[in-house]
Amino acid sequence: MTNNISYQEALANYKAVAERPLPEVNYEGLLEKYHPDYFKDACVQLKIGPNKGDICHIQLAEMLQADARIDEADLAGAQVIETDILIIGGGGAGCAAALTAAETGARVLIATKLRLGDSNTVMAEGGVQVSIEKDDTPQQHYDDTLRSADRSVDKTLVAEMVMSAPDVIRWLIQQGMQFDLDEYGDLLTRKAGGTTAPRVVYFRDYTGLEMMRVLKEAVRSSEIEVLDYVPTVELLSDEDGHCTGAVLSSLEDNRYKLVKAKSVIIATGGIGRLHLNGFPTSNHFGATGDGLVLAYRLGAKLRDLDSFQYHPSGLAYPQHLSGTLITEGVRSAGAYLLNAQGERFVDELQSRDKVAAAIMRECAEGRGVDAGNGIKGIWIDTPGLELKNPGIFNARFPKLIKIGKKSSIDPRKQPLLIYPTLHYQNGGVIINKHGQTNIPGLYCVGEVSGGIHGRNRLMGNSLLEIISFGRRAGIHAAKYSPRKPFRKVTIEHLSRLRRELMLADMPMDPKGPILFPAYAKFETDSDYSGLHKNIKSK
Amino acid sequence: MENVLNQVLLHKNSRVGADYILWKNSWGGQGLKNAMERPADIVSMIRDAGLLGLGGSGFPTHIKWQAIADQTNTEKYLICNGNEDEPGTFKDRVLLEETPFQVIEGATIAALACGINNVVFYINPNLKTCHEVMQSALAKWLASEIYHNALQQGLNLKYTIVASSGHYIAGEETAAIESVEGKFPFPRGKEPRPTSSGVNGHPTLINNIETLCNVPHILRNGVQWYRDLGIGEANGTKIYCLSGDVLSPGVYELPMGTPLTELIFNYGQGMLVGKELKAVFTGGPSNTILTEKDLDVNLDFKSVSERRSALGTGAMIVVSRGTGIVKRVAQYVDFFAAESCGQCPACKTGTYYMSQLLGEIDTGKGSKADLDSLVDLCKILPGGGRCHLLDGAVKVVDSSLYHFLDEYKESLNDDLN
Repeated sequence: MTNNISYQEALANYKAVAERPLPEVNYEGLLEKYHPDYFKDACVQLKIGPNKGDICHIQLAEMLQADARIDEADLAGAQVIETDILIIGGGGAGCAAALTAAETGARVLIATKLRLGDSNTVMAEGGVQVSIEKDDTPQQHYDDTLRSADRSVDKTLVAEMVMSAPDVIRWLIQQGMQFDLDEYGDLLTRKAGGTTAPRVVYFRDYTGLEMMRVLKEAVRSSEIEVLDYVPTVELLSDEDGHCTGAVLSSLEDNRYKLVKAKSVIIATGGIGRLHLNGFPTSNHFGATGDGLVLAYRLGAKLRDLDSFQYHPSGLAYPQHLSGTLITEGVRSAGAYLLNAQGERFVDELQSRDKVAAAIMRECAEGRGVDAGNGIKGIWIDTPGLELKNPGIFNARFPKLIKIGKKSSIDPRKQPLLIYPTLHYQNGGVIINKHGQTNIPGLYCVGEVSGGIHGRNRLMGNSLLEIISFGRRAGIHAAKYSPRKPFRKVTIEHLSRLRRELMLADMPMDPKGPILFPAYAKFETDSDYSGLHKNIKSK
Repeated sequence: MENVLNQVLLHKNSRVGADYILWKNSWGGQGLKNAMERPADIVSMIRDAGLLGLGGSGFPTHIKWQAIADQTNTEKYLICNGNEDEPGTFKDRVLLEETPFQVIEGATIAALACGINNVVFYINPNLKTCHEVMQSALAKWLASEIYHNALQQGLNLKYTIVASSGHYIAGEETAAIESVEGKFPFPRGKEPRPTSSGVNGHPTLINNIETLCNVPHILRNGVQWYRDLGIGEANGTKIYCLSGDVLSPGVYELPMGTPLTELIFNYGQGMLVGKELKAVFTGGPSNTILTEKDLDVNLDFKSVSERRSALGTGAMIVVSRGTGIVKRVAQYVDFFAAESCGQCPACKTGTYYMSQLLGEIDTGKGSKADLDSLVDLCKILPGGGRCHLLDGAVKVVDSSLYHFLDEYKESLNDDLN
């Protein structure tokens, strides 16, 4: 194994300079050799389910092919709740779907694993892509998205999304969301990596947090019913395979609740807390891929199960903040990435997969920084940016200043050590332009769905996606839900799963979805009592 | 051991779909040919073979046939009943989809035997593929050599395919007649019987698809062959629909009288994930429940009825320990309540009331008084409807109370007592 350069020595190598020319960079074979998606050992073929035979990440495969957590016996005596539309997940996509569905007069219930707003939406910092500048068009937005994804997208979905983008922003502003504005009150834009025009609208470096604040308030002041601390452990189906509701597990009293619904919208987000390939993650605590598992069991078809986004700039040091995101906005504002020798090695505004792979290449070939305890990384040249653009951090990146305080490093004076962090699940459940899956009555929106970002996502497209498709699914589910009385609710599909598992000679002991990462240690951790106090005080 | 699975109706020679050539080159048309040679003997052959109504009743087929044959009316109808809508029953759709010529040939022989001139294939509209396959097969049949030979020998028949209303109740004999007449499938009172006055007042024979499918084979191979197929006193074969918590659910054509344990553990490959068997809902949910001690029962009409149950359609819904019986029964009674046509007050209100009570008890909101009401309903409701829907609903509740009363009591909310 190549030895990297020590933290102190690398810091000595570093000098803050405002302008640095871009060196010749070789992108040939970069992804194949260094991007984790291409690690051969990390993938297996699925043995059961609608994607049988497809390549899938090994950790995800274990979950998709796990046995269910519940049995028929668990449903005896369960409380039954009836609603028109059940939304699983309380992030941006779930709230957008709930709000639009509720507007039509439908009864809407949001069930969240933790609390409303505990989501990756609040983690999103960079902004929302929308072609509103006069030199920009939705066509360019479409072309950029296709190019960065290497054309592996569902083109209809991308076209629908880019065309709806201006309306999404208008809707968000109507809901009360703030954006950074210029002196005339027009939306400020910045350029995302891998794009041809400044197109990202933003609010400081906590765009997602602001979005979630507004959505959450809108939900709380509506007729929408919200159930907190009720992870969904299974979907319900009828004899025709329609999705007819879900089984929730209440953390409060460890009992199951049955929700009968005319349509179910899954908006459970991503999978970062599985720590694929041992990577740290920028994702929130609940991102354990529950929605993928639930939908797959019911027969929903998935795609791109071996494709994940590793965000280039996750904080690597200090260790307790490992994985925390440093927004791409910093790079798009002009910050350079430097190796331990203090040299640039990549065009910082290349698409994320390439920048991440280039960082891993530096560290693999001995030009990275070694901070001990197995921590490695490269510099993000924040002092250089401050030099070039004094005051920019205070004005535009307050969250970064706060991260600096927590780690006792002033990013305006000292560069931060970063390393790619597991950020986003590119693939997911296959949907159409209304967010419908191949299972009648089941919708998927947000990160849990696949096809919009192909195999590499552009900055700012996910905040756009969750609102664009969240709203579509909400409207469609409300409008086209059957008016008939409720269908049957059974977990018959679990017999099919168990049959397939037995016939494929698979182990029956892993149970899914996992709901919380293993290190949560809910049984012994004092945090759990904190969680309980939270629930009790409600 | 001799392979006894899928010997006749589901034999690969029978399962040719709408492919006329394949069917003709296997054993197609031979039964009809024999029937045309001595039409007067058909009913007695069916009698001697001991063919029973396989739609659930187990009623001797020849009695109905003879009754129709004895009618002097010149217009007579045959309704081939493919309304199949009972939970856990899925055999007729397999026969219609995969063996349409077998169905047509059986119906033609039945018509010949009874002097029937109108054959109606009465099929559930939700079974779309069955409709398509039957349309295609019937068109080929009408153009076929076999049919034309039969025409020349004096066969005079009109075939139609009719979509039923799709209601469960539309499978009831008299409801089917109403439906064929173009009305809502309200079951009629049982006098006059369809054999004397059915569709538009004409004598009408109603047979299940599976029953009719057996006919060509009896004509082709003879009475003794058919009798030898069965186990013990039973004759022929039966298509069992195995579902629930078994590893390999599906349709299995086996000798009539095959033991239940053989069906579940040999053909169904046993229980799922090492679960233990708790109960079997036989013949769809409108029957009494079998439990573990009944596993050795031979699955024929007589043996099953000796265990206070009934073979019914041959559906076997297996449930394992861990399955809430109250929840299951509640689901089935919900089904009956939704499917009740509503013309008989006892059925309309009785099924609804039972479904409410079961729902309360199942969700932990039931009191002892609710349970007592349920027990009382099981005593007063039977016989309160024109057809058997109400009786079926009561039977499953009554039987579950008989076998699993403790489970009902555990589900009660003690605070309400």
